[in-house]
Formats: sequence, C-alpha cells, structure tokens
Amino acid sequence: MLKQQQNEPVLEVRNLQTHFFTDEGVSKAVNGVDFVLHKGETLGLVGESGSGKSITSLSILQLIASPPGRIVGGEVLFKGKDLVKATDKDMRAIRGNQISVIFQEPMTSLNPVYTVGEQIAEVLRLHQNLGRKEAWAKAVDMLRLVGIPSPEKRAKQEPFQLSGGMRQRVMIAIAMACNPEVLIADEPTTALDVTIQAQILELMKELQQQLGMSIMIITHDLGVVSETCDRVAVMYAGKIVEQLSADQLFTDAKHPYTQGLINSLPRLDQEQEELQAIQGHVPSPYQMPAGCAFAPRCPHAGDICHTAMPELLQHDTDHEVRCWIYTPEWQGNDSTMMKAGNAS
Amino acid sequence: MTVFIIRRLLQTIPVLLGVILVVFIIMQFVPGDPAVLLAGDGATAETVARIRHQLGLDQPVLVQYVQYVGHVLQGDLGISIRSQLPVMKEIMTRLPITIELAIASIFITIILGMLAGIISATKQYSASDFSIMILALLGVSLPSFCLGLMLMYFFSVKMHLFPVTGWGTWKHMVLPAITLGASGAAIVARMTRSSMLDVIRQDYIRTAKAKGLKPNIIVYKHALKNALIPVITVVGLQFGILLGGTVLVESVFAINGLGRLIVEAIRMRDLPVVQGGVLVASIIFVLVNLGVDILYRSFNKRISLD
Repeated sequence: MLKQQQNEPVLEVRNLQTHFFTDEGVSKAVNGVDFVLHKGETLGLVGESGSGKSITSLSILQLIASPPGRIVGGEVLFKGKDLVKATDKDMRAIRGNQISVIFQEPMTSLNPVYTVGEQIAEVLRLHQNLGRKEAWAKAVDMLRLVGIPSPEKRAKQEPFQLSGGMRQRVMIAIAMACNPEVLIADEPTTALDVTIQAQILELMKELQQQLGMSIMIITHDLGVVSETCDRVAVMYAGKIVEQLSADQLFTDAKHPYTQGLINSLPRLDQEQEELQAIQGHVPSPYQMPAGCAFAPRCPHAGDICHTAMPELLQHDTDHEVRCWIYTPEWQGNDSTMMKAGNAS
Repeated sequence: MTVFIIRRLLQTIPVLLGVILVVFIIMQFVPGDPAVLLAGDGATAETVARIRHQLGLDQPVLVQYVQYVGHVLQGDLGISIRSQLPVMKEIMTRLPITIELAIASIFITIILGMLAGIISATKQYSASDFSIMILALLGVSLPSFCLGLMLMYFFSVKMHLFPVTGWGTWKHMVLPAITLGASGAAIVARMTRSSMLDVIRQDYIRTAKAKGLKPNIIVYKHALKNALIPVITVVGLQFGILLGGTVLVESVFAINGLGRLIVEAIRMRDLPVVQGGVLVASIIFVLVNLGVDILYRSFNKRISLD
C-alpha cells in the first residue's frame, strides 16, 4: 500500500519559507520546509512549540496574517498547482472544500453567535451550492457522521451549549463537509482530555477510511503520531530534520533531535529517576545559529555542525535525515552515534 | 425569551416608582414658590394662599406625594400653571417632535458610528483610520451647542442649504439630528473599532477564513455580530445622553419639542410640567433600556434568563 501511495502525491511542499517582518527583525519561522503528502496517507508533523509546525499549515492555505507574515520563497503544490502563486479567489475555492483544517482550540474556533448547524451548512452552501434546506439537512447528517447524539437537536444549539469534545467534532464536521482531499489537523486533540483525545483520533481514522482523504496531523505528542500516522516529519527551528515511517520512529530515529524527543518520553519498561530532557532551548527565530540549528543543543555536535547546515539526505528507503553525522564529510569524534541511533 | 421579556417588564415597575419619587423630591428642593410666581407681582398674601391651597401645596409633603403618584397612575400629570392646560396634553403635543429628532439622531449615531468603526478596524493604521479617529475625537470633544451653532452658521446662514430654525420637513431635521447624533456616533465609532479589532483576531475568524468565505462575509457576518454585543450597550447609554441633549439642541434650533418645554417650564417654575416632562423622559429611557436588553440577549444567547 505504501508503494502505491508513493506514486500519487496530493500535496508537495518544496523549500517553503515563511518569514515575519516585525520591529524586532525578521523571524524565519518556516525556513525551507520540504515534504510530500500522498493520497490516503497520514503524515505527522512533529516538533516542539515554536518549531514552525502551525505556520507551515497556515502557509499551505495562505492564511498567514500579512503583515507581518509573508511567504518569501518555495512552492506548495496541490495536485500540481502552486498555491503560493494562486489568486485569492482560487484559494477561497480550495479552502474548506479541497483542503480543510481543524484547529487546536475547539473552545474558541467556532463562532459563538451562530448555531453549529448554521456553521456547518454555511460551508456546504458556499462550496456545493446547496439551498438552505438541503445544506441544513446535510449539516445534520454530518453531525451524525461525527458521532454527535440527537444531531437534529444539537444542530440548533450554539457552541456554548456543547462540550469541548463535541465542539471538536463539530469542527471536524465542518472540515469534512465538502469531502476534502486533504485534511490538516493542527493539534486536534491537545486541548481535550485523554479519553476524548482517543475518540477524536479514532473518528478521524474512520472518516479517512470512509472518505479516502489524506491527513496531515500537526502535533507535539509522539503518542498521537504512533497511533495515527503512516509517516512522520520532524521539524526543528523552521526546517524538517528527519522524515521516516511511523513504525521506524521509536526504533530507528537517526537525528539527535528526534532521538532526544523519544528519550524524553517517560518509559514504563524501565526504572527512571528523572526524565531525560533535551538541554537548552529552541533558538530564537530572529537569531538562528550559523550552522545546524540544533548544534548548540546537540550532544554530538562537531565543528562542521556550527558552520554549515546539512542537507536533508536520503538515509534509507522512506527515511531522510538532516544531520552531518550521516554524511561522508563527517569526521567527528563520535562514531558511536550511529550505533546509538540504531540501538535506541 | 417571552419569560425573559415579561420578567424584565415587571422589573421596570419598581424602577419607574423610584423615578417618580426622585423627580418629586428634586422638585421639592427647587427654590422659588410656584404660588407666588403664578399670582404675579403685587398679589396679596391671601391670593397667594388661595392659589397654594388650590394647588395642594399647603398639604404635608407625604400627602402631596401620595396624591401625585395616584394621579400619575391614572395618566393625570396635573395642570400646567402657566397655560392652565393638562400637562399630559402639553407633553403629547411636544413629544412626537422630540421622538422624531431622537430617532433621526440615534440613526446617525448607529449608522455613521458603526460604518466608521468598521472601516477603521478593517483598515487599521491607514489614512482613513487616522482621519476617522481624529473626527471621532472632535465629535466627542465638541459640545453639541457649539457644533449646532457652527453647522447652523455654515449650512444655513452662509450656504442656505437648510432652514435655520423650526421643525416640519426633513430639511429641518438634518442639522439638529447631526448635532445631537455626532458625539454618540464618535463614541460608537471608537467602540466599534476596538471591538472589531478584538474580534477579528479571534480563532473563529480564522475558522471562517479557512472555510473559504469572502472577506466581506467574514467582516459583516462573522465578525460584526460578535463585535456589536458591546456596541449595543453603548448605544443604549447614548440614547439616554441623547434625550438629555435634546434640551440643548431644541433650544439652539428653536424646536418646540419636549426638551424645550421642560426648559421653559423650569424658567417659569411650572412645577407640574417639569415633573411630567422629566417623568415621561425617564419612562422613555427605561423602555429603551428594556429594548436594549432584549436586543442584547438576542445577539448573545449566552446571557442567562435570570
């Protein structure tokens, strides 16, 4: 199945650069991001807060607040068409219709003064030219599809009458209403409690199987990744540092940052006194280090790491990594690194 | 909703009783004896005493109050000392003019204020934003009698576009309505701007954009309805200020409305007319507030019924 997916990329992001021009300087929030989303697959975009995950997703839909933000370079190819160059009108026809997004905050992402039914029906009337009654009927169907009990009654309620989990289901119903080809889920479960998280992820998986769309999940939760994703792209300081299959993530991560993320998870199978955190902080997007952005925090960094940024190199089939250690140029003192990476 | 409206209506009863009490007490403290004024210069003490007795002013204050409330409840506001006509009749001939003026003014306040506020917010820091905010500052700062005289001078005396004084046609209405509505429009513009700026940064506006909606729909459907919630309150308060403002504006433009009636009555110590006028104005204000509450709730259903 994976091979078949490889042939049909739906969304290709190439060297995407989104910068914010503020009084304090230029913030390079997204600084050359590349990834491919194939038909029917689920890609996880993982990273710490401030790594540029959400900005990447907003950039795909051209939803960056401008000013201060601007896409300064790169391409976002959706079925071969570059969205960066698309007109506002073309973008409006794509948003909510072919590419939908679910945001992190279900409590505030719905308009408080309209019923949830109206908010779902609106997108149907806009993109599918349905009449008022048809759109309402389909909105009720969508609520039923996302598992909301007594949808006829719920459709007439305002968001404040619904719980957080219910509201996120409504957001999913809005996103799914027009049967999009790509669903971007920006931390869809972060604001929800654990039992609801599992339900929402399960719902997204079910709908993906029924409707056959591609999903990009943005998260900092590696548990969510392992549960839902086919592939994972790890982001650090505005760049993808590693891409691999979700199965490999916990066994075969190569980049020191990815390894650090995995090692910082609490383990149930070992006795741990303390969690192993990654030392230091994400660099300020206003002042990126000269070489690899992770070098100042990397336990293995050599001289070259502080002077030049490595390329994202093919490490294996379906596995790319951006780290000097895995290049022929590496002359570092740390030949144990590769073994350590394989072992962990 | 019906329960809410009935409950709010019942709540207005004690408010109105309180209003009657306050108006009555204030009139007790106004210096000058209406009986003396009515009797005229050189009247004998007996004449004054007789008039005082006729008006019931020789009774204890409490008795006067109970009698007054009783009459008010029957729609009887007394007899004007000056014209000897029923106060109710005097007020009813003047009230429609003031209501026309107030409605025209509140219309200017709402339409002009909101439009300016929306333009300001959607084009923040642009030239139009700055000009609107400077105009709004002027509108808030300029006293209405000053603005009224300036408008009258330029548009009526110099340019002959509108009549200088009086009431009757829509042309008579333009300048007084602008004079009365200007400061409210300025306040509403500033309020709408800040409220809109707050709302357009909300997550649900981002959701609306992500749905693929047009910018106009996002602003006028998704943002405005939320932004109007605090603005409605301000408009309600403005209506009260506006009722007070009619007194000045009607005097400047020589309009025979309720405001001018009250001013004349105060000058003449025509107590029943002053009491009646203030009472009617208060009732209107209470009713407008009731309307605002109902409107407020229909915009924002999160407000509980209690």
